[in-house]
Amino acid sequence: MIKKILIVDDSPISIRIIKCCIPKDRDFEFFDAADGRIGVEMFKQIKPDLTFMDLTMPVMNGFEALQEIIQFDSRAMVVIATADVQSKAIERAHELGAFSVVKKPPTRENIAAAISGVESALAKRR
Amino acid sequence: MSSANQELMITAEETDILQEIMNIAFGRAASDLAEHIDIFVILSVPYIKLLRLSDLPPYINSEIKEYKKVTLVEQNFWGKFKGSAFLVFPADSGKNILSLLDGSDEYFESDRINELEKEAVREVGNILIGACIGKIAELLGDFITYSPPRVAVERSQCGIISDSLVADDNLAIVLRTVFEFNDKNICGYLFIVTSEESFAWLKTALHNFLDQYE
Repeated sequence: MIKKILIVDDSPISIRIIKCCIPKDRDFEFFDAADGRIGVEMFKQIKPDLTFMDLTMPVMNGFEALQEIIQFDSRAMVVIATADVQSKAIERAHELGAFSVVKKPPTRENIAAAISGVESALAKRR
Repeated sequence: MSSANQELMITAEETDILQEIMNIAFGRAASDLAEHIDIFVILSVPYIKLLRLSDLPPYINSEIKEYKKVTLVEQNFWGKFKGSAFLVFPADSGKNILSLLDGSDEYFESDRINELEKEAVREVGNILIGACIGKIAELLGDFITYSPPRVAVERSQCGIISDSLVADDNLAIVLRTVFEFNDKNICGYLFIVTSEESFAWLKTALHNFLDQYE
């Protein structure tokens, strides 16, 4: 079961949109970070069940942050939420260990499907 | 312009929404370009600024000050969202952009390089500007028409913005993003300048965009 969700994005509007798209029938605890560096530190501190990660960010981009998170916890569930929809960017994110990719702007359906995909994968691990 | 005056014209929240829309739009433009040619575009965080049109040339010059000469593509667009877009590269990027399109790194003296470079820059500009403006318009519920792209090669920074654009002292919202074409050592700037007459529509459209998520 997912309880803690971390959203790493430099855009406060994007964080707001992702939160709005997350199903309201569940009691998630939300955390957010404004760049990849803060995101990695926060990940280590709170150990979220699911992380939504932007790719284009200042200070540390999402590729670098994803790499550090996967190095720290190879089983981390990171869903990339990005406007960078180039196939090479998506391939690279998967190579670095992203669980899935949601294209921006997200929809409620896409975010719900991403959460459900992560929950199924977590259930299989047990 | 003071930040208080700027806030009157476009609030911090509206700036954030526009920045996110620009981010989505340029991401889509990069993807469209990567479908045409085998490249990877490194994106950066877009930046939004409110300026008087008369301050636009010095602003753009300060942004691209490391380029001695530039090659640029300019395209005007009309809809409720109305303005001009400028894609600016350092002048010596022409051959690299050409090699992106035709895959060749060697050209003979007899090749009409300047014309070929100009066409290559026009094509890249047309794709990037069209996809980016088109996506902004789509997200904000507008329909846009475009002028044909105008290409200028090996220009000094002075005079790259046409006098007619900056003739009045109206305000403009300037959206700027920096990009790099990986492997080809090309980087450039995209400036989108939207005129004061679009402001009222733009503000409403930005709030409508956000409202669909509330």
